[in-house]
Amino acid sequence: MKETKTVSELREGAAPRSNILNDQRTSGAAVVITHEDIDRAHDRERVSETRARRGFRPRLRLFWLLIGPGILVMLGENDGPSMLSYAATGARFGIGFFVPFIVLTFLMACVVQEMTVRLGAATHRGHAELIFDRFGPFWGWFSMIDLMVGNFLTLVTEFIAIRAGLGFFGVRPAVSVLGALFVLSIALMTHRYWTWERIILGAALFNLLFVPVALLTHPHWGTVGHALVTWGPLPGGITQDTVLILLADIGATVTPWMLFFQQSAIADKGLTTHDIRFGRVDTVLGAALATVAALATMLATAPLFMHHMSAANFEAAEFAQALQPLIGHWGAALFALGIFEAGMVAAVTISTSSAYAFGEVARRPHSLNLPFKQGRAFYLVLLVEAAAAAGLVLIPGIPLVYIVLLVNVIAVLAMPPALLFLYMLVNDREIMGPLISPRWANVLALGVVTVLIGAGLLFGVSVIAPNALAIIGGR
Amino acid sequence: MEKQFESATAAELSREDFTSVMTSLEPDQLISTKEHHHCPRRRLTRTEMILFWGLRIYLVFMVGVVVYQIWTSVR
Repeated sequence: MKETKTVSELREGAAPRSNILNDQRTSGAAVVITHEDIDRAHDRERVSETRARRGFRPRLRLFWLLIGPGILVMLGENDGPSMLSYAATGARFGIGFFVPFIVLTFLMACVVQEMTVRLGAATHRGHAELIFDRFGPFWGWFSMIDLMVGNFLTLVTEFIAIRAGLGFFGVRPAVSVLGALFVLSIALMTHRYWTWERIILGAALFNLLFVPVALLTHPHWGTVGHALVTWGPLPGGITQDTVLILLADIGATVTPWMLFFQQSAIADKGLTTHDIRFGRVDTVLGAALATVAALATMLATAPLFMHHMSAANFEAAEFAQALQPLIGHWGAALFALGIFEAGMVAAVTISTSSAYAFGEVARRPHSLNLPFKQGRAFYLVLLVEAAAAAGLVLIPGIPLVYIVLLVNVIAVLAMPPALLFLYMLVNDREIMGPLISPRWANVLALGVVTVLIGAGLLFGVSVIAPNALAIIGGR
Repeated sequence: MEKQFESATAAELSREDFTSVMTSLEPDQLISTKEHHHCPRRRLTRTEMILFWGLRIYLVFMVGVVVYQIWTSVR
């Protein structure tokens, strides 16, 4: 027999919040408890039990239970094209301006992602759903097209990274790409958000493989410290290449899929307004780990700059091969493995963000807690998108290098419209209640939008009228 | 409205599960509640419409720039 309860009966013991979604639930309509509700409730039960206890160990356990979406989104964004961008940055410019610049981009990512934490915890809904409901299908579809096009192109580059990383070990492209698809499918078979999240978190930590690689190159820490303080040097000044790398590095940290993924993951995990503080810690910790991995990649390839090796058209695996004489076979192997990991984890998180968004917009069940039968559409979108991207990588003669370069640039260009939706939602008192952005958060968010639009315009100028760069001291 | 979610079957829904759902989830976390209640659409102000269109035009223009760059690179 199906057990049903009225919403008002279910309200017992729940902390009331003041927003439009929370107020609507008092309609007294009968509700049906789903499989997804039960799984989420069990996860929340553990959180409540742990929260009720005092002491250091329960706090640590609570932290363990609540972290996830923030670390996943930040390390997920340290993906194939991102690591390639950092590697290209190190090889082209050495240790200098881009060291503090990369730190700045991750600070920008923190500002943006913190807003999705609040939005997800306050509304329990995904980003795509809120955009469609609040702004209507006209603007909603624009936002979805931006997301889907960007996600598909990015997924293609993830499989390029997987192929290139495993190619270093002599694995044939078809085997590496199909193997990655298989691993992605296995992770989904858990049908539990919690288990899926732990598996991917474990895999994401391998992003830090770039740290030992960087240490093997024996970086000059004094130079790194000097660069952090002085924002220099910038060899070659501001050229078209510099602007392209600048944009690629921004696109390596702040992209639309991150907004959709983290908010949906927070809703799927079941985080509430009580968990926002931990959500913020999760995001900052993820950003810190991702910054370390990004800087390590840059430091790892900086010797190529010092040895005047041209890395202009390097693909991921070629960086590993070029580094081999400097850091040995094991160091190069770690670099290649890191590239593979970056592509693999991002392939999982990005395809999941597409599936969440599709489910939210098509009003189909969308959760990693769903058994396959109940979440068929969700899982199929995820797998079909990944399979299509993987298949594209295997077509001979596809200009893969162009796609890789394009992806981060397009991400930066698509970010200002995506941020406007986020900014308006997070300042919408009707859905956020008292959790709307404080003034300082709005100032920081507008600062990020300004930087992104400025970088996009600079890129436009560098392409259409490269000579105009001289006006701002470039060449 | 067509029902898009599938409820747990009676065999799956134990009393413990039921209690857990009632005590651990906030009411608007329930899937059926989410299905029935959506955020109402908001009216965009003139300034907001200008911003939306402005950024849309910016994006279309910049994608054109990217296509131009690819075209010149290929040539």
